[in-house]
Amino acid sequence: MTRATWLPLACGVLLALVAFPPLLRLGFATLSPAALAAVATPIARAALVHSVAMGVVSTVLAAVLGTFFAVLLALTDMPGRRIVAFLFLLLLIVPPQITAQAWLVFVGPASPLLGPLGLAPRSGSEPLYGPGGVAFLLAVEQAPIVYLALRASLAAIPADIVEAAQAAGAGRARQILLVLELARPGLLGGLSLSFVAAIGNFGTPALLAIPGRYPMLTTLIYQRLTGFGIGSIGEAAALALMLALLALAGASVEALLLRRVATQAGRQVRIALGAWRRPAFALACVLLALLLAAPLAALGLTSLLPALGVAPRWATLELGNFRSVLDAGATRRALLDSLVLSLGAGVVLAALLIAVCHAARRGRAARTLLAALEIPYVVPGLVLAIGCILVFLRPVAGVALYNTLGIIFAAYLARFPALARRPLAAAMAALDPALEEAAASAGAGPLPRFVTVILPLALPAAVSAATLVFLAAFNELTVSALLWSAGHETLGVGVFNLEQAGEATRAAALSVVAVAATVALMLAAGTALRGRRLLPWQA
Amino acid sequence: MRSLTTLLLLLAVPLVSARAGELTLYTSQPNRIAAETVAAFEKADPGVHVSVFRSGTTQVMNKLNAEFMAGAPRADVLLIADAMSMQALKQQGRLLADPQQDVSGFAQGTYDPGRTYFGTKLITTGIMYNKKAPFVPHSWNDLLKPAARGQVVLPSPLYSGAAMITLGAFTENPALGPDYFKKLAANKAISVAGNGGVLNQVESGARDFGIVVDFMALNAEAKGAPVGFVFPREGVTAVTEPVAILKTTKNPKDARAFVSFLLSPAGQELAAKQGFIPARKGVAPPPGFPPAEKIKLMTMDIPRILKDSTRLKQEFADLFGG
Repeated sequence: MTRATWLPLACGVLLALVAFPPLLRLGFATLSPAALAAVATPIARAALVHSVAMGVVSTVLAAVLGTFFAVLLALTDMPGRRIVAFLFLLLLIVPPQITAQAWLVFVGPASPLLGPLGLAPRSGSEPLYGPGGVAFLLAVEQAPIVYLALRASLAAIPADIVEAAQAAGAGRARQILLVLELARPGLLGGLSLSFVAAIGNFGTPALLAIPGRYPMLTTLIYQRLTGFGIGSIGEAAALALMLALLALAGASVEALLLRRVATQAGRQVRIALGAWRRPAFALACVLLALLLAAPLAALGLTSLLPALGVAPRWATLELGNFRSVLDAGATRRALLDSLVLSLGAGVVLAALLIAVCHAARRGRAARTLLAALEIPYVVPGLVLAIGCILVFLRPVAGVALYNTLGIIFAAYLARFPALARRPLAAAMAALDPALEEAAASAGAGPLPRFVTVILPLALPAAVSAATLVFLAAFNELTVSALLWSAGHETLGVGVFNLEQAGEATRAAALSVVAVAATVALMLAAGTALRGRRLLPWQA
Repeated sequence: MRSLTTLLLLLAVPLVSARAGELTLYTSQPNRIAAETVAAFEKADPGVHVSVFRSGTTQVMNKLNAEFMAGAPRADVLLIADAMSMQALKQQGRLLADPQQDVSGFAQGTYDPGRTYFGTKLITTGIMYNKKAPFVPHSWNDLLKPAARGQVVLPSPLYSGAAMITLGAFTENPALGPDYFKKLAANKAISVAGNGGVLNQVESGARDFGIVVDFMALNAEAKGAPVGFVFPREGVTAVTEPVAILKTTKNPKDARAFVSFLLSPAGQELAAKQGFIPARKGVAPPPGFPPAEKIKLMTMDIPRILKDSTRLKQEFADLFGG
């Protein structure tokens, strides 16, 4: 009807320019025979097998946990659903390196929680090192992914079906099974997303698989590049390509399935639990206490100790770690850098995507672009980082980004459009075209219409988009692990480097700060966007 | 030709005098420590101002190499973590020899026999143990015992300069033999990236024993962590944080003064105050540390380790997986 204006075109071109060159460059990386030979080594083969194995095992476990919570939260009348949903999503939002760090101090021989109870394992054993610990923690982190995918599917099932089943004499369990059967595409989509997240995860294997001598693809890429320097970029690129293909294969399953999920308005299914309401809530609380509260409490206690392994007593608790973390140049800089980078990426991406999402209602090109922007998010962060190194190692158009914060910012802009797109696309879909038509008939051109009608209505969705990008970028490690340089660290790198430097208690303090900041932001965004259902924790 | 050189030298004189009192230091010392070092020198030698570029050893070397390529190195003095990088610079002819430098108080092996670089402290690598471990090791060979199976964690030479020197020195040590690391791997020892990872694991009790630099273990012990540190009887290896003057310096006089200060009793006492074992004999070490003269240093043939480093790293990566 209206021709595309320059605004969505310019925004789209900009997005495409930052998002695609790294992956294209990696795809066309001249894979030398030496690099390909490196991929065929026994250790690379072992890493591939291990990554796939961890992906499958953790996904099965995540499916059980995620389905349980999805049923409770989306199908039943369990009390406290809002708070349970919020806490359950924290399992996903707390970054993997912090989760792994918390679990290591929670169940390790020096556990400040289990030790005083006499439950800590004996010295010389760390139950989480190796494949068992990796699979378990990956499952805990991915369960909310399964939950989110399943919840979307469950919400689309009309209540009539359950009522009909009920009328036919089906009990509660039969009703739940029936609904789950109908939501199977959502579950399968969640499984494939969980698998993709597992093989791309770096924080968990970095802390559990490296010390457990269990090579995986992400850790091998990291070890090669940091151990042998930039000269091994060819080998790292070959490994990264292998990882990318694996992720795309996993994600294509989801893409095929998602097409069949129809969204549907109308009454949602709500199964009354009756006498089981309280026991169900109690079980959810016990699970959250074990999976979330206890490890974070152990991390919090550790942050108050002078050194790992010191028994926590009133006399030994101190705030020194917090003081030194907030005073030290490097950690304070890392906090600030991450704040600026993630806020900047959130605002820029939300701004660029408003116009593109609006154009996507009518334009095929914009829709194609939005679909393609999913790829840099599906591909593991480490892979994207290798692509960015390949593109920016030498100055591009006279601008040298390598070894600056700029390369991390470019990587964030490439990685996170997919996150910013979701709330904006939903908001645009819900927009009544009559508003624009009215403005058009009053003689307003495309740009004034966009500025005066669309922008104000899209603002809450834009805030939500920026928040989602911010939350993902603020704590991320997989992209910046390869892109940081001295003086240009991120918060994720700061925590990881402190941990690597043997400063485990200061790393714990920085992690506590990071988690507190994240939760505060989630609550603030939730309050600002109250009642709009634009954020995943506002179900 | 000679007259041309003289002419150039004469022309250079005003430049040199313009630079008098100005020094540029490239260092890998942590910020706070680098600032202390510079402040102490400027106090001891008023009239000299030192500008500092500080970063990790790798970044410092990258910057320096880039400047070499551009033909304009800006650093006068270099103070970096390990002797291997210094040895590489020496072999490229980048370092200024200083035969007059007094090394009488320093053990052989802490300084370059050609007097281009000088170790300023001893950061030794020994054995750390958790106090709940089944035994306290006294020999490197104790780590090969069945009771230590799967319980030893060590830093990787791919990341740690100290670990590289340890690996290189062990292969030439008659008491340990070239197969020591093979036997460690066979006893299910675990390699992590840096010394910090070793500290975490032994401190938390995840493993009983660790091969690690002295100050990390001793500082943790001082903070109350349930760990101890031993200097094994075969001796220890050390990184020495050497200092050197670049041949291209325009201010050799003040550069020499800086090196002499770091090696002097006053400079060495500063190192002790910062928590390191002074390289100079007779200077008191920090509390809990043995003095330099009590430490048995293994032979560390830096030129040979440098020559073999790529092969040693590759062998290590094959044994321990990275």
